[in-house]
Amino acid sequence: MAALSVVCAGTIFLYLLRESAPVFFAEGSGFLTRSDWWVGESYGAGSMIFGSFMVTGIALIIILPFALGGAVFTSEFLSPRWRLVIKSVMELLAGVPGIVYGLLGMSMLAVWVKSGFGLIDGNTIFTAGLLLGIMILPTIITLSEDALRSVPGEYRETALALGLTRIEMVWSTVIPQAVPGIIGAIFLGMGRAMGETIAVMLVIGGLDKIPAPWFDVFQAGQSIPSKLGREAAEAIGSGLHWNALMGLGLTLFLVVMTLSMAGNMFLKRVRM
Amino acid sequence: MYICKYSKKWVCLLVLTLVFMTRDFSLLWAGERETLRIVGSTTVLPIASRAAEQFKALKGGTFRITVNAGGSGVGVNSVAGRRADIGMISRELSDGERRRFRDSHLTLHQVARDGVVCAVSSEVYEGGVRALTKQQISDIYRGRLTNWQEVGGPDRRIVVVDKERHRGTRHVFMKYIFGNATARAPAARLVTGSNNEEQAKIAQSDGAIGMLSVAWLNEDVKGTGIREGDRVIEPTREHIVSGDFPMARSLVFLTVGEPKGLAREFIAFVLGPKGRRIIENSGYTPMPATTTAQVTTP
Repeated sequence: MAALSVVCAGTIFLYLLRESAPVFFAEGSGFLTRSDWWVGESYGAGSMIFGSFMVTGIALIIILPFALGGAVFTSEFLSPRWRLVIKSVMELLAGVPGIVYGLLGMSMLAVWVKSGFGLIDGNTIFTAGLLLGIMILPTIITLSEDALRSVPGEYRETALALGLTRIEMVWSTVIPQAVPGIIGAIFLGMGRAMGETIAVMLVIGGLDKIPAPWFDVFQAGQSIPSKLGREAAEAIGSGLHWNALMGLGLTLFLVVMTLSMAGNMFLKRVRM
Repeated sequence: MYICKYSKKWVCLLVLTLVFMTRDFSLLWAGERETLRIVGSTTVLPIASRAAEQFKALKGGTFRITVNAGGSGVGVNSVAGRRADIGMISRELSDGERRRFRDSHLTLHQVARDGVVCAVSSEVYEGGVRALTKQQISDIYRGRLTNWQEVGGPDRRIVVVDKERHRGTRHVFMKYIFGNATARAPAARLVTGSNNEEQAKIAQSDGAIGMLSVAWLNEDVKGTGIREGDRVIEPTREHIVSGDFPMARSLVFLTVGEPKGLAREFIAFVLGPKGRRIIENSGYTPMPATTTAQVTTP
């Protein structure tokens, strides 16, 4: 089974590499750094790479306090029964398809962002980041909670026996022990956020541009998967355009693979 | 989360195998039923999907018809690559496409006439913007005009909505406004794909401008007239048919060579009396007579 998945991943990687090679020959490193994507003229994926990291970053910044707070609360302060309820709801939420979030985001979140921040339009990088944050929240909560739970009971008992209050015990004993697992959870959450296509596609605005100034997240943008989703069907078998999209795919594949591998490495350290 | 785990692995495999053996999957492989695949422009899609429904009901039988969106570019590509039987196209074939598919013997079947309009949010229309000149639209898309006040509307910033570059509607619109079907629109604030998406984004905004087929106009999305000198040409059916409205176009079915079998019957159905009624109900104008043109390549 494990060998099979390695072969699968390897095949996909080689295929992407082969299909995207022409665009790297044609554009050089400019493919990754320039942001002029004009089909038939030039292919610079800078704006999509920027957009992908930006939405993921925004999602994390917004959601981390809630995710970590929620994980600590569920793991340390809830009765076992409620803990189970919360856990199963979270795992259920983690499985909700992206299109559902996308439709809700398009019809509600985008409107709220528009009126809440007084923008001329609600389809922005920020909206996509916020939506992604909501989407990866359950993943990060359940995995971090697992990490917190796996801290052995003796540590807690010892800490309490030394006269620490419960909150001090959690803060100074449990959380430091669980840090690798929490980092792993964050990486896996990032992986999901990076690869999310349809939900982002519906609210990000679809504009291949790095905002000016770059930190103005209330502008429309584009992420790698949303670009692929919009143009793949048109580009099949059409030479350099297809190669360029495969180049985007390769970039995304490498980033998500790295994140998942890092995440799993940290999580494994917890289980040992 | 962890469905496939340890000993459950084999149960999992078994279930997956069973799923793949069910009707829909095995049909995909065996191809027992004849399938007519129609792909392309979302402008033509309402005609094709409504016609497909009626055609199936009329003909009975075991075949099936799939109608998928994607845009004109996807339609051309899929038909030429034999991934679809009929392509839905809402623009002329580009030079690049003619060159690339020179040997594919693409055949065009004109189905209906349609107008592309400059669409604005209803708030803007009610605020006084009933017609725009070509120059004004081009200035808005270039970013020289940024407030509706400058063209006689309310004091509100203009949300410029562009479309993906391969969309038929965009080709027609840009060809008229900029004289170049693939012109760039530096002022674009949003880029949308299908007609539905464009319609939804313009409707959601209270200051948007975009491009749409007339059939997609409604209470929230209004079409402006085109001002030429003292004259304002409204996007009415008469003006579109007569060719007075500058952004008129043909909606086309595309096949490889002369269509055969199911594809041929389907196209004949759409061009027949029942099909013409569907076309009118969808908001378009049927063609006066059957028109088929073999694409000649340079």
